[in-house]
Amino acid sequence: MTNALEIKNLVKRFGGLTATDDLSFDIEQGESIGLIGPNGAGKTTVFSLVMGEHRQTSGTITLYGEEISKLGTSSRIRHGVSRTYQVPRPFAEMSVVENIRVGLMPDSIWQMIAQGPNREREIELALSVGFDEADLQRTPAELSMGDLRKLEMARTMATGPKLMLLDEVFAGLTVAEIAQIAELIQQMRKDGMTFLIVSHDLKALEPLIDRTIAINYGRMIADGSFEDVIANEAVRSSYLGTA
Amino acid sequence: MGLRWYHFALWAAFIAFMALLPELVSKGTLRTIIFANFLAVFAISWDVLSGRTGYISFGHPFLIGIGAYTSAILTKRYGFEIEVAIPIAVLMTMLGGLIVLLPALRIKGSYFALVTLAFMELMYQLVQVIRPDLTGGTRGMSGIPTLTRGALNGYYLSVTLMLCVAISMWLLMKTRVGTALSAIGMNEESVRGSGLSVTKLKMFAFLTAAAVAGLGGAFYVHYLGSVAPRALFDINFLFTIIVAALIGGSSTIIGPVIGAFFLTFLLEGLRPYLPGAERYFIYGGIALLLYMYQPKGLIEIFTQGWTRLRSRWTT
Repeated sequence: MTNALEIKNLVKRFGGLTATDDLSFDIEQGESIGLIGPNGAGKTTVFSLVMGEHRQTSGTITLYGEEISKLGTSSRIRHGVSRTYQVPRPFAEMSVVENIRVGLMPDSIWQMIAQGPNREREIELALSVGFDEADLQRTPAELSMGDLRKLEMARTMATGPKLMLLDEVFAGLTVAEIAQIAELIQQMRKDGMTFLIVSHDLKALEPLIDRTIAINYGRMIADGSFEDVIANEAVRSSYLGTA
Repeated sequence: MGLRWYHFALWAAFIAFMALLPELVSKGTLRTIIFANFLAVFAISWDVLSGRTGYISFGHPFLIGIGAYTSAILTKRYGFEIEVAIPIAVLMTMLGGLIVLLPALRIKGSYFALVTLAFMELMYQLVQVIRPDLTGGTRGMSGIPTLTRGALNGYYLSVTLMLCVAISMWLLMKTRVGTALSAIGMNEESVRGSGLSVTKLKMFAFLTAAAVAGLGGAFYVHYLGSVAPRALFDINFLFTIIVAALIGGSSTIIGPVIGAFFLTFLLEGLRPYLPGAERYFIYGGIALLLYMYQPKGLIEIFTQGWTRLRSRWTT
């Protein structure tokens, strides 16, 4: 079976700092992986490298059997990978449906002009992440942090990904909002979506993942079941502080 | 596209009003309106590029100048027909638009604005020293073939151009490409993260804005019959374009048209009382106060008024 994502010997240096250090791992189709590590471990850099927002110093990234290391971000998204950000980045003066509309757009100027928006799909996506009909015309300024994360999920889903990278998906959320987002992720897992999830909220993360990868200083320090990884001595000393 | 019946009704009413206007006003006022029409075209061009994408262009006279000078040189020096020279001028301006695009691939914000300002200054210096036999040097060119004669014909020419540009750009910005360009102005990274090529979208915005600026510049020069570098590559001219777009309501296409008319008539209205440069002081003050009162421009004031009126009717 083709892996959804294969990362091989990935290295990223920012001047003298090595943010990603010979990192290799695979994600199978339909698998959900938790990526954990202390602040500054290089988790977000891995996301940026997979999305092409930064270019790797060396190593390869393969998505569904095709090497994407040299592609630009928009090409990678069309190949089926998409991400959310630690701090949601909505289009501030657009409504919820208009934000989703941007995610649904084809990357062709002609098609953007010739074809109207798919309003049914926009509403379907908004409702699928938990928005009410009354929320559809709201602007980001009127939304809570939980709603902003839902909006980010909807816009990311609109690009049609097979693999989603979720960065600090529970940060700044209330307990109820965490439960809502977790339920949404579970539903998407049942529908076959592949996930790579970064979160410091290990309690919320655990039920959502099949496997855990821990990194520190850009290097992998553990890969296995959630229980095995948090019991790992290197993880405990560098991240959990309970060695 | 989100088009409603009243959009067409308003456009039809505006076209009818503009068509009837020569019957209602003096020739002197018509000449003022001609300048308002051309200013509206330039402000629409600025709006497509800067109002939408947030890449503030301080170099718009650079683009307008390419259109104006190309058409002027082709017709006066090489004997081209105006009908042939204008499309060539538009294409040349689009090439100029690509030059302005280059810094936008690397820099944004005030740095981009300053680089574009340098383009305008560069153009001002170059037309005076490079081949003055073609450009007319510091004195510019006169005796350029004109498209029309008289205030009435000039009015119809300029109003037709303004309406064609305004309606086509308004329709274009009503499509998803308009939404995508606005999205760039709000958060470029998120547009990229939505799977869209930001470079492609920016190129489209810059080429479209350049085409409109080139078209406006070329028609303007064939209306005036002359071109002077001091008047064209002038900071006052640049700010009039930007203020027209901002005061009318940027990113709306209609706003810059309203802004252009407001500013032109404001300047003309002040002329009998303040014939000198102090007019610009009052004009700047009024523009500033209006902008502070409603940063979304005159169009927002009108929209809010209309909404209030409608809610009164319905209750």
